[in-house]
Amino acid sequence: MENARSHQSEAIMVSIEAVSRSFKLPRAGKVRALDEVSATVRQGEVVVIIGASGSGKSTLLRTVNALERVDEGRITVNGIEVTNPQSNLNRLRANVGMVFQHFNLFAHKTALENIVLPQTVVLKRSRDEAVSRARELLSRVGIPEKADAPPGDLSGGQQQRVAIARALAMNPKVMLFDEATSALDPETVGGILALMRELADEGMTMMVVTHEMKFAEDVGSRIIFMDQGKIVEEGAPTMFFKAPDNERTKEFLNQIL
Amino acid sequence: MFQDQIQMIQSITPFLLEGLWLTFRITIIGIVVGSLIGMVLGTLRSLRIPGLTALIGLYIHLFRGSPFLVQLYIFYYLLPELGVAWLQFDSMQAAVITLCLYTGSYVTEIVNSAIAALPKGQDEAARAVGMTKAQSLWYVVLPQALRMIIPPMSGVFVIIIKSTAILSVVGLSELTRQGQIASLRFPGDLLLIYVCVAALYFVYCYPVLKFADWAEKRIGGVTLKMR
Repeated sequence: MENARSHQSEAIMVSIEAVSRSFKLPRAGKVRALDEVSATVRQGEVVVIIGASGSGKSTLLRTVNALERVDEGRITVNGIEVTNPQSNLNRLRANVGMVFQHFNLFAHKTALENIVLPQTVVLKRSRDEAVSRARELLSRVGIPEKADAPPGDLSGGQQQRVAIARALAMNPKVMLFDEATSALDPETVGGILALMRELADEGMTMMVVTHEMKFAEDVGSRIIFMDQGKIVEEGAPTMFFKAPDNERTKEFLNQIL
Repeated sequence: MFQDQIQMIQSITPFLLEGLWLTFRITIIGIVVGSLIGMVLGTLRSLRIPGLTALIGLYIHLFRGSPFLVQLYIFYYLLPELGVAWLQFDSMQAAVITLCLYTGSYVTEIVNSAIAALPKGQDEAARAVGMTKAQSLWYVVLPQALRMIIPPMSGVFVIIIKSTAILSVVGLSELTRQGQIASLRFPGDLLLIYVCVAALYFVYCYPVLKFADWAEKRIGGVTLKMR
């Protein structure tokens, strides 16, 4: 299978250096969600992050566009230091597309307007330009006929397609997928994964948190396995799935495969 | 046999209508200004800025946690006693200011709750595409929160309208006060006079509630369809 690996270059797109983050939970006390995590993502790479619930994979993804702050460590995306309070986070975030588990479409806007709004507000595009780009992207994600539908009238899969189009409208350099298929009906999952695979094939740099092991194996350039806030294993999909080193990885793979 | 009553009603009607008109004007000011106060403070409170949140909280708790009558006494009798020049309120000023602040405290809480009730993902999605906090509030959070506040707001407005009856104690000739005056003229028709007064309050409040129903169906429905 031809995949994103062929697009890889040496340029580093995302660099995560010794990042830690703790949460105070009401009952469990202080939980270290990220424990000195380091990772790099090169341009064109598809890095798939897997692990059990609570292992810190979503938190890691959310620190990359500063939706989650870090306690310690340093993150840069395309040369901009995310963890530096002086950086313009809003500029940075426009470069980083994010797709959420629960779609998070703006509930008061139609599909088309969901894609238009960020373009006119953040990129200051003219309305005409934004609308034509939005229509183009709705066709790209396969639902041009749903332009005027409010999110409530769309199926989960359709909502996620709009969400992906909304992220792409900003011309992101990196796309983050936070369990993008976890809230979908089984029969819709395939369509979204296929769309993600197309993006990867076009050379999009991607960080993907998922439970879809087939996708990880086929599309991932690299797999990161997280457990209790740490990266415990990292490697090419072939190595990772066939010959994992770590005991915890073996245990996890045994349970899910 | 109802000749006397009809005559009595005819003679007090102009005064009651005058009272209703004053009640109407005062409540409009209270509702408009109070809503503006509430929108601004409710939004600010949702930002969770240390210090400011506590300060707004104090305002809400003071005004929601004490009787309107007591607040009115403080603004009308106590504050002018302090001798500060700009705290010398006449009865109309004291009434309007108290009503605006009282309304504002309720609206602040409603707006703040509506923003808090909105799924966190809405703001996150706005921030994730690069909107500033202010842009997220303006384009994404507030338009949705405003749809949710219509039903509770209409409830507050009706409470405010009825609360203005209390303003009669500082001598404002609003509807209730006009009823009191009428009852001094016609002590024998106490019941009938207050039935008329109540009817006029109802005539004012009922359309507000009906309008809220209509507005909720027209505007509010979209958000509620969220999956």
